[in-house]
Amino acid sequence: MILYDFEYERPGSLKEATALLNETGGDAQLLAGGTDLMPNMRVEVVTPSLLVSVSGIEPAAPEKCADGSIRIDSLTKLSDLVDAELIQNELPMLAEAAHTVASNQVRVMGTLGGNLCQETRCLYYNQKHDYQFVEPCYKRGGDCCYPFPGNDRDVCWAVYMSDIAPVLIALDAKLEILGPDGTREIAMADLYTGDGMNPFTLGTAEIIQAIFVPPVPERFGWGYHKTTVRGGLDFGTAIIVIVLQLAEDGETCCWAKIVYSAVGQGPLRPTTTELSMEDAVLDPALIAVAASQEISPLPHHGFNKGFLRENIRVYTERTLVSAIECAQGKI
Amino acid sequence: MNQLRHVGKSVKRKDGPDKVTGRAVYCQDVRLPGMLTGRILRSPHPHAKIVSIDLSKAKALDGVKGVITIEDSKGIKHGFVETPRYPPDQEVLARDRVVHVGEEIAAVAAIDDITAQAALELIDIEYEILPPVFNPHKAMQEGSPEIHPSHPKVAEKESFSNIGGKTESGWGDVEQGFAEADYVREDRYESHLRTHGYLEPQVTVAHWESDKLNVWTSSMGAFNKRAKLAKVLDLPYSSVRVHKAYVGGAFGGKIDLYSHEFCAARLSMLTGRPVRFVASREEIFSAYRHGQPLVVELKTGVKKDGTLVAQELRIINNAGAYRGSGVVVVFLAWGFTMAPYRVPNLKYEGYSVYTNHTTRAPQRGHGCPQVRFAIESQLDTIAEEIGIDPIEIRLRNARVPDEELPNKDNVHQAGLQECIKIAAKKTNLVAKYGRDRKSPPQDTSIRRGVGIGISSYMSGTLIYPNGSGVIVKMNDDGSAIVLTGAIDLGQGAETVITQIIAEELSLDMDDIKIIASDTDTTPQDIGAWISGLTYVTGNAARQAATNARAKLLIVAAEQMNVTADDLYLDNKEIISQSNPDNRLSYREVIAASVANHRGDTVIGEGFWRTMRDEPNHPSLATTKGRWTENYAFSAQTAEVEVDIETGEARLAKALTVHDCGFPINPGLVKGQIDGQVSMALGHAFMEEVMTKDGYTLNTSWLDYRMPTIHNMAESEDADVITEQYEVGQSYRTKEVGEGLVSGILAAIANAIYDATGVRLYSTPFSPEKILKGLRELERHQK
Ligand SMILES: Cc1cc2nc3c(=O)[nH]c(=O)nc-3n(C[C@H](O)[C@H](O)[C@H](O)COP(=O)(O)OP(=O)(O)OC[C@H]3O[C@@H](n4cnc5c(N)ncnc54)[C@H](O)[C@@H]3O)c2cc1C
Ligand code: SF4
Repeated sequence: MILYDFEYERPGSLKEATALLNETGGDAQLLAGGTDLMPNMRVEVVTPSLLVSVSGIEPAAPEKCADGSIRIDSLTKLSDLVDAELIQNELPMLAEAAHTVASNQVRVMGTLGGNLCQETRCLYYNQKHDYQFVEPCYKRGGDCCYPFPGNDRDVCWAVYMSDIAPVLIALDAKLEILGPDGTREIAMADLYTGDGMNPFTLGTAEIIQAIFVPPVPERFGWGYHKTTVRGGLDFGTAIIVIVLQLAEDGETCCWAKIVYSAVGQGPLRPTTTELSMEDAVLDPALIAVAASQEISPLPHHGFNKGFLRENIRVYTERTLVSAIECAQGKI
Repeated sequence: MNQLRHVGKSVKRKDGPDKVTGRAVYCQDVRLPGMLTGRILRSPHPHAKIVSIDLSKAKALDGVKGVITIEDSKGIKHGFVETPRYPPDQEVLARDRVVHVGEEIAAVAAIDDITAQAALELIDIEYEILPPVFNPHKAMQEGSPEIHPSHPKVAEKESFSNIGGKTESGWGDVEQGFAEADYVREDRYESHLRTHGYLEPQVTVAHWESDKLNVWTSSMGAFNKRAKLAKVLDLPYSSVRVHKAYVGGAFGGKIDLYSHEFCAARLSMLTGRPVRFVASREEIFSAYRHGQPLVVELKTGVKKDGTLVAQELRIINNAGAYRGSGVVVVFLAWGFTMAPYRVPNLKYEGYSVYTNHTTRAPQRGHGCPQVRFAIESQLDTIAEEIGIDPIEIRLRNARVPDEELPNKDNVHQAGLQECIKIAAKKTNLVAKYGRDRKSPPQDTSIRRGVGIGISSYMSGTLIYPNGSGVIVKMNDDGSAIVLTGAIDLGQGAETVITQIIAEELSLDMDDIKIIASDTDTTPQDIGAWISGLTYVTGNAARQAATNARAKLLIVAAEQMNVTADDLYLDNKEIISQSNPDNRLSYREVIAASVANHRGDTVIGEGFWRTMRDEPNHPSLATTKGRWTENYAFSAQTAEVEVDIETGEARLAKALTVHDCGFPINPGLVKGQIDGQVSMALGHAFMEEVMTKDGYTLNTSWLDYRMPTIHNMAESEDADVITEQYEVGQSYRTKEVGEGLVSGILAAIANAIYDATGVRLYSTPFSPEKILKGLRELERHQK
């Protein structure tokens, strides 16, 4: 139950929505599926005085643009993303990632834009503080970090847990952002500040309008893995996404990208390891060791750093093997 | 004629249609005109003195109709156990001091939730912080912060602090037993904090009207709730009516009195309006009662052939802030230890230790999974060390029929030996055991293992209200109304009672309507929390039906000019065996009864109590006295898969072979088995209430991970039938609703060992622990 009063608006277009958000300033918030925002309002980590709902705006179906890239409306429900034939055929990794989110009930409400802009998570943060943990932590505007008392002032280790963001980063997606002053385009990776206190680069009243995913090259391979405790209805312990392109010999890797989610304030990439994969015949075991050592996973939800690193190592190797086999046309 | 038509059949549940269509009324659906919302102010500290409370601002807020603290109560204490040794120890709201985070201090009733919340925020409390203690071993040490003084009987002999109670028992001579043993082993096993996971939250609606308190509360037994509420409110039982509502799960977490129930009642009495409290899931996770993590220190001695000669147990229960069921679980842990295996020399000590955690409740299995995990794990280790297989060592020690137990109980037709044999055969356990350890497969990181665990469980014991009554009222047309205090928590009590009455009176299931679990209109009932409902209330129902049947037969014999023993009942008719044309319908017989028996409308009464000649529950302190007259037995096997690179393990297949006497409704029994297997699987791999300094870290379903449908393992089962049902006679059924969370947990641990060689000494069986164990093994091998 949300135990405070707030206003609610339901404009007919995203333009009107930005205008409404802009009028109220930082205290207003866009409401898409609400599956992330409502729980956060319930525990009062955010207490917007105005909700601008997009429920009156019909998202356009995913479509192929003239340049071969695919445009996805940010308001697309995750369940529609999973079911869309275009996505299944052309971007199967995206369909798979969307399918791993939460449960069917959440996916029919949750949107792609909301998934990308979901708040970072931490056990202490995602609960009401009326008698538990009554001292607010840094991220709640207070003066401590309960789980990591060694953290410097305003350093927050809450983790970003989107299942889909790492896929869009790996696929070089672009975001079309609508603001009070019109639209701008950014690379998917530039959505994130890397700062747990304030994870997104979006300005006041800015809305992600659409996501553009460029076509993939020949001999492209991908692998996706989400480690969880119970498989369904579960945020990831660690999420591992690998894409690569093989040379014509079917052995040499032209380039590769590795993106991790759920283990940092934003998606993480082992860029040095990625560089080492360029124009090389890959040894998945060695790369897995290097990549898991290169990043520094944040402990979260009861999982310690050592365990996370080990899990990431094993699944990086397995995911890389399947990405290579995918590029070789074996799966 | 002894062919059973209803009993022994998987008839459809009485409550099924209401539940699947959403018509079922749960407490949360009860809405009364003018109803107020209640909210509770809880302690933010694990241990503190309350210096002062200022309610003035909260009381002055518009829309607030009532604010209460302990000063608004009569100061009558209550407790899960209320005996001379363990007198009531809990106030209805905190007085002077709080001893756990979330402890209830004050409550408000207001016109809506937002106002109630605002009122809570206006209550000023000054605290003086006291040092807390969370670890039971630390709490026991002399000089640690005192939560409550140690029990005087314990303090006489021992200098431990914070001992809420102790159970001591034993027989034979353990010293001598260990001296005679060929092999002795000592281990320590630890279990973790889990919660019940009832989907329906704690909800209470109370309405004080015309000097009567009407209550709807999510519970496991209306009569237990009435007794406790009436007591703390100082009202006669006749002034408190606990109404029936459907219950959305309890698993042990909804027995005993909860503060919010008192608050709803008291606030309704003060405001004259109905008051409703619904606990949020966060409150349930952080302030309500969970299960009980036990430390089991276990020493066992055996002969070369695996015969147990001596066993010594020391159990430490992290029992939380009040006595709760903490002293019960250390008693029960003794029972679950001694029931399945013969141990000639045994010494048992169980300590219930106060800590600044929330108070503890029973949780499905109530100590059994924790001790069976320890004993069954150690038994496998011993078997391996002395070179015999897991089945042989169990068969050598398992109880046989008619054995008398050290407490003078009798196991009657115990089917344990057969359960073990069937389980071994069906899983092919001996042949499979050790396969992947001996020759690990080269092409995969998955290792398979198989393990067994056994358990025994009581089937009803003596705790207030000790007995169940049932009334069968025949209607003029031959259909029947049944009054029973039994509560259907989803286990199917109403269905089973209807089956029994249909059988005894030769009625159709649809001829019978049940009025249940209403303290004003139904007879008293033991409730659904001591694993005896089908046995105790079921026999009361059978007796009530037999009683009505006898009346029908007397009247019919008179009308039909035959003797009653020539008559049988069939489909609402009474028929002469010697001349089947001579028959009367129930309608005719009942009319004749009213006409010729001074208006007797044919009402049958029945009542039952387990161990009818025993005065009381056995002593919690010494275990002396009878415990139960029906022991259920089971052997369960687990087949697991473990990924040795990631440590991730899963239960692939479970088998439950069990002796529940006989199943009155096999479909319901199967539901219980599958439910328990999936609950144990959650226990083994997923569920943990994580705490830090008395605060709960994971307060939602997302972060406390119960298994979903996708995690359920294949669950097979087989009955070992040891009893039977005959119309007109009392019967024995045995427990089937909670004991089966135990053997399977142990079986999973044993199967993980079998797959990997990693022996786990604590639950849950997380990938971290399994990986750590594998690394240690690698180090050893090097
Ligand atoms: C039980 C449960 C399980 C979950 N499991 C997962 C999981 O496994 N994996 C996972 O990734 N997520 C999970 N989530 C998180 C979340 O629900 C989903 O990620 C979902 O896609 C969020 O979308 P929404 O439309 O509901 O977002 P909302 O809650 O409506 O919005 C979330 C945030 O994004 C902002 N926002 C929304 N749309 C836009 C936009 N177009 N432009 C700019 N800002 C925007 C909102 O203002 C808000 O701050 C889970 C949530 C729940 C309740
Ligand atoms: S990690 Fe961030 S959200 Fe969590 S307690 Fe620390 S500051 Fe707060």
